[in-house]
Amino acid sequence: MAEPVLEVRDLVKHYPVRNGLLRRSVSAVKAVDGVSLTLDRGRTLGLVGESGSGKSTLARVLVGVETPTSGQVLVDGEDVSRLSRAGRKQLRRDVQMVFQDPYTSLNPRMSVNEIVGEPFAIHGIDPAGGRRAAVSELLELVGLDPDHANRYPHQFSGGQRQRVGIARALALRPKILVCDEPVSALDVSVQGQVINLLEDLQAELGLSYLFVAHDLGVVRHIAHDVAVMYLGRIVEQGAEAEVYDAAQHPYTQALLSAVPVPDPSVRLVTSSRPVEPTPVAGPVETRVPTSSTGSVGAIGSVGPTGSVGAIVLEGDPPSPVDPPSGCPFHTRCWLAPTLPEARTDAAPAQPPAGRPDLGLRLVPTMCETDVPALVPRSADTSPGAASDVSHVVACHFARELVDPRVEV
Amino acid sequence: MSRTRSAAEEKTVNKDESCAPPPLLEVTDLSVEFRTPAGQVRAVDGLSYRVEAGRTLAIVGESGSGKSVSSLAVLGLLPDTATVTAGTARLDGVDLLALSRKEHRARCGDQVAMVFQDALAALNPVHTVGYQLTEALRARRGMSRADARKRAVELLDLVKVPNAKARVKEYPHEFSGGMRQRVMIASALSLDPAVLIADEPTTALDVTVQAQVLRLLAEIQAERQMGLVLITHDLGVVAGVADDVTVMYAGRAVEQAPVVPAYTAPAHPYTRALLRSIPSASGTGRLSVIPGRPPSLAARPSGCPFHPRCDAARDVCRTEVPPAAVPAKGRMSACHFASDIMAGQEPAPDGADEHSTGRTTAAGNAAATAFDRGDDRGDSGGDHG
Repeated sequence: MAEPVLEVRDLVKHYPVRNGLLRRSVSAVKAVDGVSLTLDRGRTLGLVGESGSGKSTLARVLVGVETPTSGQVLVDGEDVSRLSRAGRKQLRRDVQMVFQDPYTSLNPRMSVNEIVGEPFAIHGIDPAGGRRAAVSELLELVGLDPDHANRYPHQFSGGQRQRVGIARALALRPKILVCDEPVSALDVSVQGQVINLLEDLQAELGLSYLFVAHDLGVVRHIAHDVAVMYLGRIVEQGAEAEVYDAAQHPYTQALLSAVPVPDPSVRLVTSSRPVEPTPVAGPVETRVPTSSTGSVGAIGSVGPTGSVGAIVLEGDPPSPVDPPSGCPFHTRCWLAPTLPEARTDAAPAQPPAGRPDLGLRLVPTMCETDVPALVPRSADTSPGAASDVSHVVACHFARELVDPRVEV
Repeated sequence: MSRTRSAAEEKTVNKDESCAPPPLLEVTDLSVEFRTPAGQVRAVDGLSYRVEAGRTLAIVGESGSGKSVSSLAVLGLLPDTATVTAGTARLDGVDLLALSRKEHRARCGDQVAMVFQDALAALNPVHTVGYQLTEALRARRGMSRADARKRAVELLDLVKVPNAKARVKEYPHEFSGGMRQRVMIASALSLDPAVLIADEPTTALDVTVQAQVLRLLAEIQAERQMGLVLITHDLGVVAGVADDVTVMYAGRAVEQAPVVPAYTAPAHPYTRALLRSIPSASGTGRLSVIPGRPPSLAARPSGCPFHPRCDAARDVCRTEVPPAAVPAKGRMSACHFASDIMAGQEPAPDGADEHSTGRTTAAGNAAATAFDRGDDRGDSGGDHG
């Protein structure tokens, strides 16, 4: 069952920042900073994170558009970086990409027939029955009318264009499809159609997906496993139900809490109606959910107490050029300043140089100095969960905020 | 509808003034047409809504549903190819759409202001943020440079841009997405408008930043008792912040209701289908989708514009434009079967006697629906039996 088709080991992608007369590299944008992932055959791995977290860069490295600075990418057990030229060409057939914007990723001067047939031309393949027939078959596969093969992209709607993009990606019968935000440019009513199509294709062709998206609801629906990225690193990874219902990293919890839920009893803002009592706790303006308020992570199944929006992170993600020391999330973490360790630690943190606006935040010294490892950290209350090693989290103080009763 | 428009409109205005608190902004029967090579295209068709002080009205719809065009019309920012063909937009008792361009402009910003979606495109890249914030103050309020600068810093403080004093001197590219959107909000607030129209203010932002910006908007709104019109396509955002919701489809308002009943008992099949199509935690199976795609405004379907995609469409939907029904107090649904849909029932099948059972009592449930599907197909085959 768990047969990995794609493995990523310690992948690093740094972009040099050049400055001065000689264009010397003075520092680097650490877009992807040590990521390890495994994608099993026929499964979907969802990759979520804010913009700038490096998820798109990771996707581009995997399809071979970018070369990694260091680390390994293994497709079917074969190290991609050691491949010969011919081997790399074969790799490109195995790993294909569906792009975000169906308006810019299709050449407006090419007909659909040319767009979908181009992979055959590039790879010098003559499909059985001819290219034309192969294109018709692909169009049918993605739910488009093969008679429309002579039309141009502008004659299609957004959803149809995305189907053209998917047909093009499927032309060479890849094993892995890397989907970079495939539905975020589409209308709500069309999004569902494309998601259903992707799920059908997976069942039919046994594809594996790496599904990059910022929409946590969509990822929850399509993904079997989820990895959460922050500043080029994975901070939490596990089965979809584990990550969404029992999030252990404070960042994941904040992300899930910030997702607007289509349920009017759960208000994102508290101003106009007294839905939720708001005891503001702690020195930062975040209400720390206790285990009794329950399902911080359970989007869609949040109770009438309305804990969504309970955690609002301050500020923006830091720059990946100069990521914070220690845990990359400690500058925005809502949990760290509330920990008892933060108060007993003697040295008050100085505001980072040049950013006096950030103010003084007391966080445990550990968070500022040590990079937390991505390891399983089960809540000590539930011994049953200790055996689950697939749910990993990179936080010194990871704890489950979900009521243990919900788990059982 | 449109024949008796002017009379009906006056009636509603009078009634509203007598019982409810007068709305800050009242748009009545607004229609906007675009001149295109293919002829006149009606982008907004008979839209009415009202915004009250301290309340948030969300206008929801897919792209091309006319939600942005309607607000541009209110602000007089329509492109030259578009004209307002009917309707009024009363702000403080004055119809903005009847004013001359100059008078209209004088009221915008002052009384009604807009926050645009793409802050990077809406801000001028070659001027500092401070200059752009002071521009309106100096031109409209006649402030001195120093006073305007002081006010700009206050405004940035208001929208919680940290270190405002230093940041007024920076250019838009030096701000992050969330901060830029705050600058947009600050500039919209600079003349103390009574109504703020925010067009997809958080669509380009990450969820954590989106939560910050929405919270900020709500705080400012509550503090100033502003009316807020929030244009969005995200039903999650609507549920999180709005008090009332207007759902638009193909240029028309198809449902208008307070937010809670709109979500718990939608009275229009489109609203219902939209809500069902959101991926939820429980739904692990196939996503429920709306078949087809939004209609082109140039080739609007006959009858109810939603009928080709509607799962509850009946014969009458194909031929007759549904009137604005009032299935419950304070609600509107442009559906022939509004009360059935609201009650969670399927409308009676076409075969049944329309006058006795068709619209009011709903025999429709799961069995009847299944039956109806077959019936429907038979009907369209041999219509004039």
